[in-house]
Amino acid sequence: MGALQSLPDRHEYIDFAEKTGFSYEQIGILHNRFKQLSHDEDTLQREDFNTVPDLACNPIRSQIIEAFFDRRNFRQNGEGTVDEIGFEEFLVVMSHFRPPKVHVTEEQRQIIRKEKFRFLFNMHDTDNDGTITLEEYRHVVEELLSRSGALGKDTAKGITDAAMLEVASISMGHMEPDEFYEGITFEHFVKLLDEFDIESRMSIRFLNMDTTTICKNSLYLLSTTQP
Amino acid sequence: MSATIDDMEERWDVAVLLLQLWSSGVFCLIMLPAMFGCSLGVTGVYIKILVKILKWATLRIQRGTARPLPRPNGIIAREGGSMEQEVVAIRRSRTRTIEGRQFAVSDAFYFYKKGLDSIVDDQVTQRFSSEELASWNLLTRTNQNFYYVSQRLTIIWGLGVLVRYGLLFPFRSVWGLGVLVRYGLLFPFRITLAIIGLVWLVVGTALVGFLPNSSAKSWLSELVHVTCWRICARGLSATVRYHNKENRPKKGGICVANHTSPIDVVILASDGCYAMVGQIHGGLMGVLQRSMVKSCPHVWFERSEMKDRLTVLNRLTNHVAAKNKLPILIFPEGTCINNTSVMMFKKGCFEIEGTIYPVAIKYDARFGDAFWNSAKYNMVSYLLRMMTSWAIVVNVWYLPPMRRRDGEDAALFANRVKSVIARRGGLLDLAWDGGLKREKVKESMKQEQQKLYSNMVGAPRHNVCTGRITEDQESSPVEYQNR
Repeated sequence: MGALQSLPDRHEYIDFAEKTGFSYEQIGILHNRFKQLSHDEDTLQREDFNTVPDLACNPIRSQIIEAFFDRRNFRQNGEGTVDEIGFEEFLVVMSHFRPPKVHVTEEQRQIIRKEKFRFLFNMHDTDNDGTITLEEYRHVVEELLSRSGALGKDTAKGITDAAMLEVASISMGHMEPDEFYEGITFEHFVKLLDEFDIESRMSIRFLNMDTTTICKNSLYLLSTTQP
Repeated sequence: MSATIDDMEERWDVAVLLLQLWSSGVFCLIMLPAMFGCSLGVTGVYIKILVKILKWATLRIQRGTARPLPRPNGIIAREGGSMEQEVVAIRRSRTRTIEGRQFAVSDAFYFYKKGLDSIVDDQVTQRFSSEELASWNLLTRTNQNFYYVSQRLTIIWGLGVLVRYGLLFPFRSVWGLGVLVRYGLLFPFRITLAIIGLVWLVVGTALVGFLPNSSAKSWLSELVHVTCWRICARGLSATVRYHNKENRPKKGGICVANHTSPIDVVILASDGCYAMVGQIHGGLMGVLQRSMVKSCPHVWFERSEMKDRLTVLNRLTNHVAAKNKLPILIFPEGTCINNTSVMMFKKGCFEIEGTIYPVAIKYDARFGDAFWNSAKYNMVSYLLRMMTSWAIVVNVWYLPPMRRRDGEDAALFANRVKSVIARRGGLLDLAWDGGLKREKVKESMKQEQQKLYSNMVGAPRHNVCTGRITEDQESSPVEYQNR
């Protein structure tokens, strides 16, 4: 009998909506997904992400999963990692990829871009020293490339070095022969990608079906199939 | 003192009379028609009334709230292109000409985006939990999203509980008891009789009487089987619609169907006799299995034999090769899926030489969720849930028989059959393995994306700098290797 309750979580959802920029409906959807991934528990652990087969086939899944447990992405200026997250943290991390809003001022747009860049930068900069070193960059490239046969080890190394040199040349311009390139700082990262259309490419677009359409569809289903 | 005893006796008499009335009514109105396969139409009327009530409930709910409703087609919009197209598109969106280069820092972004998309919504994990409905069928168990809306709705819901638990459930558990009695007492009894009769006849008219005897025996066992399953089906208030009966599986064939729950067996076996395939269990199931195999040859395996693929295949092949044996019933998915999609068919049974008769089974989820989530419920609680649902409304389509083409790989044939079934039943055709319910993705699959990307990046290019040459490139000290 206790199954019929009054609408739950409504005030919490409104809080989240203000905090993260998702709409009320989108938060409901993400909450369902959170419950599905965490098997109806309150917190999510790293193993829970392994139940998604699509993600298991992604070459850089470990970086993606780590991003959810990285305190730097919780917008509280924290550092380090945690072992489990609640729905609020899940939502905050997801909000870095929230759908682009239509009417934004130039200033807001720059802020949003910087946020997304910061998120992607954090995924590369695993030791949080503010720069993506050659090692960290090479790590990402190696994850993407297959270890089995298609490319030889030397080829992979060559690709990595060339990629690093590309970044160095574009951000530093001309380098002295004995100058040591430490790594990509956040400013260089942004400069490197300044023409990249990050707002629309790095955002999740929810399919929009309003309730009137759904109402019509379900009534249609009910009336056409006969027992 | 005597007055109270008289009272009690009177009450007892009345109770016995009521019981007699009830059981005779039950026998006449339900058991007899079930044995002969006809229906009195009561269930049909019941379901029409249900549909009207559910329509009203849906309207009330839509008016009452605006909340996230389930989306069968997925939650998010995805890019449709292949990996190569997408990565190149990302590179192109940056104005610096980097098309000809082997690796760009933005290549990783394609994978980040894909990873986040799959965290929000993926095709596989949602197949292993019950389907979310767009309307509420007034069952608490499908009540994940619908909360208190109005008093009227609550009252109707309460009435529904009364009807389901007070009326329908006791009714149906008598059927369960009836089935037990039939299998435990009547069936071996009849079979013993049949065997005795056979022995007599064999002794009496050895050579001449052999053929007619065995066909009589199989006819008798078929009748018994089908009657039993039909009564079980009535016990679940199952309304089944069989389409295309002319394609029904014939002897010596293999019947394959999509799997949602153990009730699939009851439904299919009510309309024809099959040889079942499966593991021997202990307990009640074991008793049933052993008694069934006495009348017609089912294929039951010991647990150790199941591990050995070759033994299994051999036994099945022998069964099929004997053309006069009943068709085998197999569920190639290997596990229960929630009836919104068809997952990968295991190619084992498609390697056997024989005609495949595909069957598509679709449950109408409005009347009760038939999916057996074996992680959440065990068999007994699942059956209890089934018996207290509104009804089970099923559509069964018999599809035209298919044979493996010359030189066709068993896996390809399995996929062909799977898409035919998915199309007929209105289900989504997925290539994922149903075994993912319990196991992780295979290592080889995980590395596929890596291989794809490596091929794209490492492919030999004639000249690296395609496209316009800007000032940056001309003054760049970087050396590109021609590969």
